[in-house]
Amino acid sequence: MRDRLAVVLVILAVAFVVIAGLYYEGVLQIAVSDPHAAHHTTHAILFAVLAVASLIAANFAREKTV
Amino acid sequence: MTFPQALFMGLLQGATELFPVSSLGHSVIIPTLLHWQFKQSDPTFVPFLVLLHLGTAGALLVLYREQWVEIIRGFFTAAVRGRITTQPERLAMLLLTGTIPAGILGVFFENRIKSLFASPYVAAGFLVVNGFLLLGFELLRRRAERRASLDSRSRAEQEQSFAAAERISFRAAAVIGACQALAFLPGISRSGVTIGGGLVAGLRHQEAARFSFLLATPVILAAGLVEVPQLFATGVPLGEYVAAALLSGIAAYASARFLLRHFRSGRLDPYGWYCIAAGAVSLLLLTLRM
Repeated sequence: MRDRLAVVLVILAVAFVVIAGLYYEGVLQIAVSDPHAAHHTTHAILFAVLAVASLIAANFAREKTV
Repeated sequence: MTFPQALFMGLLQGATELFPVSSLGHSVIIPTLLHWQFKQSDPTFVPFLVLLHLGTAGALLVLYREQWVEIIRGFFTAAVRGRITTQPERLAMLLLTGTIPAGILGVFFENRIKSLFASPYVAAGFLVVNGFLLLGFELLRRRAERRASLDSRSRAEQEQSFAAAERISFRAAAVIGACQALAFLPGISRSGVTIGGGLVAGLRHQEAARFSFLLATPVILAAGLVEVPQLFATGVPLGEYVAAALLSGIAAYASARFLLRHFRSGRLDPYGWYCIAAGAVSLLLLTLRM
């Protein structure tokens, strides 16, 4: 059960990385203040942080052997 | 903006950022009451605010430098191990938990909310609301003290019956972090809502203030750092703004030291009454156009 949660969190982290990349490249324009900007760096940083946080949560959720 | 005005704004920002009285509210209301002509839509105003925030964040980093070293070390240790074993590790993860909702709400909603409510009348109105919020938090704390039969004890003893920041639950940390979004409304204080949230979660006043200041540091720092490229735009009087930022940092450091000492036995009530009075007087003066 805990390992399943860990896997879900890793998948979430990958999704966040993809979203971060799309925001940085200006492909994703959802909820941005300037739709004409080439990069949405702040949004990209936010999703990168969320990806790291998800990986940390996955590490906490996985079964520990020791 | 003239140099003396920049210095005054730096002092005002630094002094009011950590006091639970809303720095944004004061920086919207006071220049209007003083009939200062500088426009907040001026392209050099954002770089100015960036530097002031970096000054405040710098002051907090200096104040808690030893704790931040332990928190950062604890963060990496706990993240790699996947288990929390020490107090700094728990505090690091609590701060991460509290910072995420604030970051999400900040990135998606801050600019829109600020632009919707950036009026001195609205700021004065929310300052009154902030005052009632602070009094409400203290009312809840007094009830908790009565329930724990602490009425007959001294204030210092009462405070010792409540918890340290590291004992707060992760859910409470997330809720307190999300409450920071209320501070996008000019007049509502970030430190006010986070200290109040800490009190409701069962922290001592001093610990609630410490958690609030630690929680504010990454948010203020990140908000400042992402705007740093704007500092190098043409027409920005960097020297004058840096002087104002230094003043802001000194004021923030002094106010944090004062608040931490005050909250050993002090309460939020004086700040609540101040906000109600200041908001009401500001509304009156703005209405009479004095």
